[in-house]
Amino acid sequence: MLRALVAAFAIFTVLYGQAVEAKPIVIGAATDTEILDGFATVRGLKLAIEEINAAGGVNLAGKKVPFKLEVMDTRDCDAGVPVSEALLVVEKVILDKGADFIIGPSRSEAALASLALISRYKRIYLSTCGCLSPKFSATIAENYEKYKYAFRITGESANMVTEAIDLLSGVNTKYGLNRMFVIVQDVAFARAGADIVSKKLKAKGWEILGNERYPSGSTDFSAALLKAKDERAQILFIMGDMPELSILINQWNDLKIPALPFGSYMGPAMEPKFWEVTKGKAAYTVVNVVNAGNAPSNATPWTMKFYNAYQKKYGNEPEGYGTASGYMAPYILKDAVERAGSLDPDGMVAALEKTDMEGVYGRVKFDPKSHQIIPDLDPDQGAVGTTFQWQDGKRVVVYPPKIAVGKIKFPQWMIDSWKIKD
Amino acid sequence: MEILIYGLINSMLLVLMAVGFALAYSVSRVPNFMHGSLYVLAGYLTWVFLNRLGLGYLLSILLSVGTATLIGWVVYKVAVIRVRGMPVSEIIVTFAISLTILEFLRWLGLRGATYVLPPFYSKTVTLLGVPVDSQRIAAVLIAAAIVLVLWIFTHYTKVGLGLRGIAQNERAALMLGIDSDRAATLALALGSALAALAGITIIPMGNINVATGYDVLVFAIAVCICGGLGSWTGTILAAFVIGFAQMIVVYLVAPHLAMVVALAAIILILIFKPSGLFGRQKELEERV
Repeated sequence: MLRALVAAFAIFTVLYGQAVEAKPIVIGAATDTEILDGFATVRGLKLAIEEINAAGGVNLAGKKVPFKLEVMDTRDCDAGVPVSEALLVVEKVILDKGADFIIGPSRSEAALASLALISRYKRIYLSTCGCLSPKFSATIAENYEKYKYAFRITGESANMVTEAIDLLSGVNTKYGLNRMFVIVQDVAFARAGADIVSKKLKAKGWEILGNERYPSGSTDFSAALLKAKDERAQILFIMGDMPELSILINQWNDLKIPALPFGSYMGPAMEPKFWEVTKGKAAYTVVNVVNAGNAPSNATPWTMKFYNAYQKKYGNEPEGYGTASGYMAPYILKDAVERAGSLDPDGMVAALEKTDMEGVYGRVKFDPKSHQIIPDLDPDQGAVGTTFQWQDGKRVVVYPPKIAVGKIKFPQWMIDSWKIKD
Repeated sequence: MEILIYGLINSMLLVLMAVGFALAYSVSRVPNFMHGSLYVLAGYLTWVFLNRLGLGYLLSILLSVGTATLIGWVVYKVAVIRVRGMPVSEIIVTFAISLTILEFLRWLGLRGATYVLPPFYSKTVTLLGVPVDSQRIAAVLIAAAIVLVLWIFTHYTKVGLGLRGIAQNERAALMLGIDSDRAATLALALGSALAALAGITIIPMGNINVATGYDVLVFAIAVCICGGLGSWTGTILAAFVIGFAQMIVVYLVAPHLAMVVALAAIILILIFKPSGLFGRQKELEERV
């Protein structure tokens, strides 16, 4: 009897101890799960958390602690949803779900507005998708003490602009193409991005032949495409995140417009099913997916490991922008927690600022003032972006050169029109 | 020439989007705010029948249109009939059902650009020197066929004449033995079927997504208000006015102002002709 009691006590003690030990670290994802970026970010987070927990969890001051994910939809990208709604969700994730760390909203406007909230509750905040505005990191740098809890672990529009200009300059040098027509969704980030690229390319001697803006939900782009054809454009610079941009690509192919579609950001064209959706009309479309790993390449040993694990879990390739960064967020937090030895926000800020690790899209390091991940064209030096081209149903990475697995190709009707020689 | 060809196409697409709303309103006086959601739902159901159940394209289309018709019928019989004659309540009921449908589709995972329907026929044709894809041509032909069939239906069939009678003067029609509720049910069901048909015809040009439901509703209302609520002729004329105005703005000014044209048309028409181009509501009220 005594033996049985001792055994029961011992079992209880062990189980209770495990239960106490197992109190998880909560990552609260308050993001728009309806759009590709947010949806893919959540999938990336889930995959990484599963892997980390399966490997024993996070070493928090000598104790193994698992991560737990709480997801709440902000719907901040929906038309008519005010920023204040997204902020309520962020606050709910902190107060109701007890989030220790926050993955922020998708739209730049909502992410920027969240900064004050994060500062009030002193929660570490990682921006993994959607927020591409340079203002995010600039705001942190301008008021460091207040906003130091926020970090952005993806590229931003300034990097994308730099990459676009570099890539297009290469196209100009190699193939002699320098006549561009701009077609963008009528939203702030797309207008601003296109204007900057146009201005910088113009300064490099490019001809900018037109700039047409289409409201969200447009279903006919023939006017802009026919204008581009009349103006003898050679590059179509496209920016936007509306699904209807697939119509633009379909029409481009149907009308055989002799200009290469280049999506500096083109939401639907990132998706692995885009080829199927357009019945192959997406061929030759060039798309920036912001971070390496969102399309297959060998940027680092992590890249294809992530890519294959994602494909195994979800039955499809990583969807695009937001996927690799969603996956990296728990790993970056784990690394910082283990070095900080606690969840204390100020300690975590110091630890995150000293982050120097390899990840899916290269070396992860943050600018100590702006908390922006440091970009580079070499994955050994910093976070690399990725631009791919749809070729024979595959997303073939063509930029940056260090991680490219193929080169840009042109449709026959373009080769004929411009006498392009490889 | 581009403005002429694409203006015609745009106008006929607006006719497709609006004709169901106009039919339902003219007969039942119920503003069917489910119109946009049925447009999207029909596209989604066709996609499900086609890709998940492996049915043929034509059968999938027929089943989707049938489902939308049934929804229109049931909604009238179950919900709208109880609030008929109270315009605000009618709007609330139909809009609430519309939101339910659209948000349910969102919950099912209808997102991104991956939900598409194949075009009826994939080819690019050159019309008067302007290249046009065949789905747009198909949409123009289907819109024209719908208008023609509706005209024959409402002029040469007993049921159609009954619907016209209700639309013209409900009390007189009642005295002649036409069942107003039956006609209204039929009108809402037919209007819903036309919304579904519009979706299935237009969606192959792009993709199925929830937000389109709201846009289609706005366009349908804009066209019907400009044409004169309840007037079928007015609806068609307004679709041409707005359709061509939009294309002129898109080609000669800026594409992002296309939606502004539709909304500005409503404001201008309401200022200068409050009943719309062919509407008589305001004049009748003033006469009373």
